[in-house]
Amino acid sequence: MKKYILAAGALCALGTNAALAHITLETQEAAVGSTYKAVLRVPHGCEGKATTAVRVQIPEGVIAVKPMPKPGWTLQVKKGKYEKSYQLYGEALTTGVKEVDWSGGNLPDEFYDEFVFRASLAADLPAGQMLYFPVVQECGDAAERWIEIPAAGQDEDALETPAPGIKLLPKK
Amino acid sequence: MNCMLAGSLVWLAAMLVTMALLVVPGRALAHAALVATDPADGAVLTQSPGKFSLTFSEPVSPLVLTLVRPDGSQLALTSFRLKDQTVEIDNPEALKSGTHVLSWRVVSVDGHPVGGSALFSMGAPSAAPVAGEAVDWTLRAAIWLGKLFLYAGLFLGIGGAFALAWLAEDRRRGRRFVIAALLIGLVGAPLSLGLQGLDALGAPLARFATPAVWKTALETSFVWTVLLGLIALGLALLSLAGPSGLRKLAASVALLGVGAALAASGHASAAEPQWLTRPLVFLHGTAIAFWAGALAPLGLALRQQPAQAKVFLRRFSRAILPVVAVLAASGIVLAIIQLQQPAALIHTAYGRLLLLKLTLLLFLFTLASINRWTLTAPAVAGDTEVQRRMVRSIGIEMLIALAIFGVAAGWRFTPPPRALAIAAAQPVSIHIHTLKAMADLGITPGHAGEVAASMMIMTGEFGPLDAKEVTLVLSKPDSGIEPIKRPARKSGDGTWRIDNLVIPLPGRWDARLDILVSDFEVVKIEAPINIRAE
Repeated sequence: MKKYILAAGALCALGTNAALAHITLETQEAAVGSTYKAVLRVPHGCEGKATTAVRVQIPEGVIAVKPMPKPGWTLQVKKGKYEKSYQLYGEALTTGVKEVDWSGGNLPDEFYDEFVFRASLAADLPAGQMLYFPVVQECGDAAERWIEIPAAGQDEDALETPAPGIKLLPKK
Repeated sequence: MNCMLAGSLVWLAAMLVTMALLVVPGRALAHAALVATDPADGAVLTQSPGKFSLTFSEPVSPLVLTLVRPDGSQLALTSFRLKDQTVEIDNPEALKSGTHVLSWRVVSVDGHPVGGSALFSMGAPSAAPVAGEAVDWTLRAAIWLGKLFLYAGLFLGIGGAFALAWLAEDRRRGRRFVIAALLIGLVGAPLSLGLQGLDALGAPLARFATPAVWKTALETSFVWTVLLGLIALGLALLSLAGPSGLRKLAASVALLGVGAALAASGHASAAEPQWLTRPLVFLHGTAIAFWAGALAPLGLALRQQPAQAKVFLRRFSRAILPVVAVLAASGIVLAIIQLQQPAALIHTAYGRLLLLKLTLLLFLFTLASINRWTLTAPAVAGDTEVQRRMVRSIGIEMLIALAIFGVAAGWRFTPPPRALAIAAAQPVSIHIHTLKAMADLGITPGHAGEVAASMMIMTGEFGPLDAKEVTLVLSKPDSGIEPIKRPARKSGDGTWRIDNLVIPLPGRWDARLDILVSDFEVVKIEAPINIRAE
């Protein structure tokens, strides 16, 4: 516990800079049953190296994903089966995008960029909880994995490489 | 009558040789060193364990196993099983919360008891109860004295009987001295055995007569030394008192018995390679007995009847050179095996005792050389002044020899650097078990400095876990040192390894394994690990 407090203290002292080192989502709250525009903010390469790929895992309950193409990057999606069927505008969805990859680009460490996709948040996602989008940032043969999800009761600030996440709000 | 005696003598000699052969092919490596305990040292448990286990570097037999409760009260653990190098101990009671000490005392193949303790806590750590491995100085002094008595009997008594049988012209000079030394040896041998039992049990001197003590003593390899020693002492007495026809044979077998007795147990005999160390100890012991044993009869003969001592002196001075050569050569090789590094002469208690012994030997050799090359010729020629000088010199040699026996008896309490090095090379290992994954982490050697780490990764249900990447993070929050983070590489046998890892400080570290299960899933498991200072 003491360690966590210290780590949290360190983060506070560093202020926004520390938070900026992580890959985060621009909008950190969204209502279930709504459309969400995810903007992944990439503030850094991997320990000085230029970013060459960004890959996002789409969590269960995030459906109808449409990524935004990016000049200079190859956009690919991996599709798969959802764990259950979701209703969207009267249609039943059982498969969809599970992973979005932007690759083949070159984002130097000293520059900043954003990667965007749009998705629907299923109405039965649990409001009040966090929803995480694990991201792997590749820089040639190096990689940073923003994939840590805090365990129950664990402080997110204690994680070294937290996955970006949003807080789910009640349906409007 | 004579025939019967000769028959029994031959039988005794045969027994002696058989015993020596039985003892020789031992598999002893060193003092046993503790490799792992369960619960691990420093562990915090939530449930009272049903059993404890101790794993050693070689097979051991437990002597005393005690659980010290948080309030300091002790519980003797008497139910245990041996499984190869592991001692499994049943825990008879549900443990209350607080810090417990599992105190153990075992005897290893080399016959020397070793002890230690492991701390673990129920619920949360409390102040550690006192379980002290306090040194019993009275017992130590008694053990040392017992050893010294044994050495006096073996070297001065048996060696003296041999000199009287083979070298002396007049066998009455020095006979009383030799018999006294043999009797001291006959007292010292069983005394040492009982004391060995006491030390093995960690019991005080007052329990000397308890059957358990002697039963324990009979289970150590030292019993062979005592048994062979007693037979040799008896043969030496026979050579003095028995019929003249058997004198030389009995004395010879007794002298060889000295070497056999010493080769049967002890640090040097337990060292590897056994085919070399045991014969070397045998030669070393026999040579000491020849040399040291002849001194008293020779000195007494020179003082009392110089005219008749000339033959004795001539024979002795002719034989002594090859004997000393064997003594020195075997001693040097054994010292090299035991020390391993010259620096150990100064840094270890064992080495310092050896240094002291070498210093005494330097004096002894100087005196002996003067006797041999300057004094012997005129003494044999009948120069009475030189003979008197020689008697004085032999007296001093005897005192130095006794001092050397005293130093050698002190080795009983100092593990040789060889054994220390084996203990230092032992890895520390921990087992981390969580629902998602488990791992066996081993750090080799288990002390601060340059080490190698190896990790075996499995799923929480003991299944195979094909991790994509494994990273070891070692942190020591109280030291102010930044966490050490090193990626492991997968080796051919499926373990993950990190070579050339440097752990800068001994003590309690937090070891964390970051296991990349899939591209987007990492499992982090951690546990404390104790890194030794050396």
